[in-house]
Amino acid sequence: MPTPIRRVVATTAGIVALGLLITGCTATGSNEPVGEPRNGGTLTYASGDAEPSCLDPHVGGNFPQALISAQYLESLVSRNVDGQIIPWLAKSWEPSDNGLTWDFTLRDDVTFTDGTQFDAAAVQANIAHLQDPTTLSSTGYLALGKVTGTEAVSPTVVRFTLSEPDSALLESLSQPWLAIESPAALKRSQDENCAAPVGTGPFVVKSWVKQNAVTLVRNDDYDSPPTDAAHTGPAYLDTIIWRFIPDSASRYAALQSGEVDVIDNAQPDTIVQAAQSDSIEHLDSPRPGASNRIEFNSSKAPFNDVRVREAFIRSANVDDAVSSLFQGTATRSYSALSSVEATAVSDPSIFKFDPAAARKLLDDAGWNETDSDGYRIKDGVRLSVEFPVSTNQSIPAEQSVFEQIQATAKDTGFEVKLAPLDLSSWYAALASNDYDAVSAPYTKVGPDVLRILYHSDSIVPAPSGYFANLAQVNDPAVDELLTEAARTADADTRTSLYAEVQNRILDGFYILPLYDQQNHYLVRSDVVGMRTLPTVAVPTLYDAWLNR
Amino acid sequence: MAEPVSRHPATLRGRLRFARTLRRLAVRLAGAVFVLWAVATITFFAVRLIPGDPALAVLGGPGSQASPEALAAVSAAYGFDQSVFVQYLAQLGRLATGDLGRSYALNMEVGPLVLSQLGGTVLLAVLALILAWVLALALATWSTRGGTVAARVGSGLEIIAAALPHFWLATSLIVVFSIWIGVLPPISTGGVAGLVLPVLTLGIPLAGFLGQVMRESLLLALESPFVLSARARGESERGVRWIHAFRHASLPAISLSGWAFGSLISGAVVVETIFARPGLGRTLLNAVTLRDVPVVIGVVMVVAVAYIVMTLATDALSRVVDPRLRLS
Repeated sequence: MPTPIRRVVATTAGIVALGLLITGCTATGSNEPVGEPRNGGTLTYASGDAEPSCLDPHVGGNFPQALISAQYLESLVSRNVDGQIIPWLAKSWEPSDNGLTWDFTLRDDVTFTDGTQFDAAAVQANIAHLQDPTTLSSTGYLALGKVTGTEAVSPTVVRFTLSEPDSALLESLSQPWLAIESPAALKRSQDENCAAPVGTGPFVVKSWVKQNAVTLVRNDDYDSPPTDAAHTGPAYLDTIIWRFIPDSASRYAALQSGEVDVIDNAQPDTIVQAAQSDSIEHLDSPRPGASNRIEFNSSKAPFNDVRVREAFIRSANVDDAVSSLFQGTATRSYSALSSVEATAVSDPSIFKFDPAAARKLLDDAGWNETDSDGYRIKDGVRLSVEFPVSTNQSIPAEQSVFEQIQATAKDTGFEVKLAPLDLSSWYAALASNDYDAVSAPYTKVGPDVLRILYHSDSIVPAPSGYFANLAQVNDPAVDELLTEAARTADADTRTSLYAEVQNRILDGFYILPLYDQQNHYLVRSDVVGMRTLPTVAVPTLYDAWLNR
Repeated sequence: MAEPVSRHPATLRGRLRFARTLRRLAVRLAGAVFVLWAVATITFFAVRLIPGDPALAVLGGPGSQASPEALAAVSAAYGFDQSVFVQYLAQLGRLATGDLGRSYALNMEVGPLVLSQLGGTVLLAVLALILAWVLALALATWSTRGGTVAARVGSGLEIIAAALPHFWLATSLIVVFSIWIGVLPPISTGGVAGLVLPVLTLGIPLAGFLGQVMRESLLLALESPFVLSARARGESERGVRWIHAFRHASLPAISLSGWAFGSLISGAVVVETIFARPGLGRTLLNAVTLRDVPVVIGVVMVVAVAYIVMTLATDALSRVVDPRLRLS
């Protein structure tokens, strides 16, 4: 997406929004008490994410697929708001003492929407589908890294065999990218399955007009919600029209005018506007996994020196930038993990803004001269920070935060070179190690995301050039703790191991946390009961009904 | 053997004319093929030379953590393991047989994909072109009759309209008509109402361009001797304007319309994105982001064909309107 256009549009919309406020735009809202849920009606959902190229989240495995597939596919387990794993298609589970096999007892009363029975063989077929290279799965494939095989102990009991204990197995299986589909449907060609995957969910994919909309209709035989759902039996809505509206300002205008009922990817300016309106509600649901953070490339100068990393953190006035540019819609984070992760360690004292201390640290690190432009130099080299910015992943407000950090870091003598790049060019810059600082989101259920982001194994690029450890943390102690935590079944021991890992990362000044991965929905007030799944914070419209 | 034509001079002239027409057509055709080849080549290398691996488009987009097996399978299937030049020749070979290939990212053939998106964009462009002509004509006529004030207002409006960026106009129209007045949907809804704002967005700046050209040539025509003689013959003011002057003044605008049609299609990139309309512009944008080479080439080729067809059509129309062109 050419973000310059988007940005200008967003800016224009902001100015226009100001005009709206001045002229007094009043919304007609009702504060009537909400009655009993009503059946029927069509809800239009407008997504700002890219249109998936395949509606089966096994293929590839990205967030846009998770958003829509949560309406028609279900997983073996889910997670509640307290972070505990809860039953879904699996009623219960039991690991063996050595942690190398897991037996899942399945519900025996669930059928796929093509009429076939959900059973142990179906689970086996799905694991095989995810692990088959020709499926081209990446997210699901990675999550099953330790699974070596499955076995149908009985029609309702399926056994997973692992190469080593995996404390993240349940969290992995709760993700929408590992949802269970009808084996009969999976046997069709990939094109057919991508166009209309068949699951056990409350809705069914009816049609998909590319670049326009996906139509979902109610599954009248549905009765397998996760245990934290608000009701049982079929969904209330008849139909969901799932549209793709890439431009933020038009998406919000469509919500205001009532063309659509729900929008995702709401930007700070529209959230603030919506707060003035009685007819629009705001749902703030941060994504799990990692926080949004700037990572310092510790593999090369200047950030291979811990003092320079600390100096950068001391010279970045993040608090003021976040509060002004996100207009109060984002909360500052001091953790490597999302605030929805119970295992997150947060330590504000490490990230104090202190330019005097920053200058002292730079002096100590040998960057003690200043050139005519006011930047620090050492051995004739300027203190420059290459900072490629993905214009696809960093929203305009975030890009402005980076500009603010650039400005405050300049006062201390850092030259921050922000390079806005499209997604492909951005990944190419990372793959060739052409960066000193970078911000890359990572969504995964549970603290195992720390292993992906900070284990030295993740410095080795995948064949695509992709690697997740962008801070290039290469610390044997961190590796050992992460490996141990991933093998530990006991929850308390696991939590303390992950706490130790996080402290080492924070104390090493490898990252500068900014805020949770922002995930805001705006919903028309007459849509009642929409919530997000606590797994990866995608909406579920199963409990939603229209109060109109 | 005797030349039969030599005994029939009239037929000879006919044949000569036929041969000339054939030759002109052949030259045109060769030119068109050359343009298409150049477009395909430039597009192919432009997309392949910017960073980004097309194999990742197949595997769920950039940043994919595809397994080594999956990446190898895709590279072999799509020929990414061969040199860029070999891939270029393969692409060209497919194009020569009329095969636009298969999209890397969208799980479908490019031909049907482009066809399914073509209608929306062409409809938008044609309606915008008609609107632009109507607006430009009205403004030019009014501003050349209404004295100096009208002339100044007219040229001022034209300059402003021509300078309006699509994204600004689109957002402003949404705010005024969808949010303030609330009469038109801010996004495409499939019906006629959803077309109004996109057509206005594309048509208004173009009307500014066309209006400027039309007004100037209208003024020139009104001062030329043939208008004077028409008036001397006692032709009515309306007749002078519509039969003589306007016909003369429309010529530059007709030639400009060929170019304008192309610019409308590029404007569709912005307009389709903002109004969430399906179409070629949005397809192109997504394809470039993903390095989906076959789709980029497919869309650009179709746009190139549209350019060529429009140029031919405006040429022909100019011949109809202007008899001097037919004589030469």
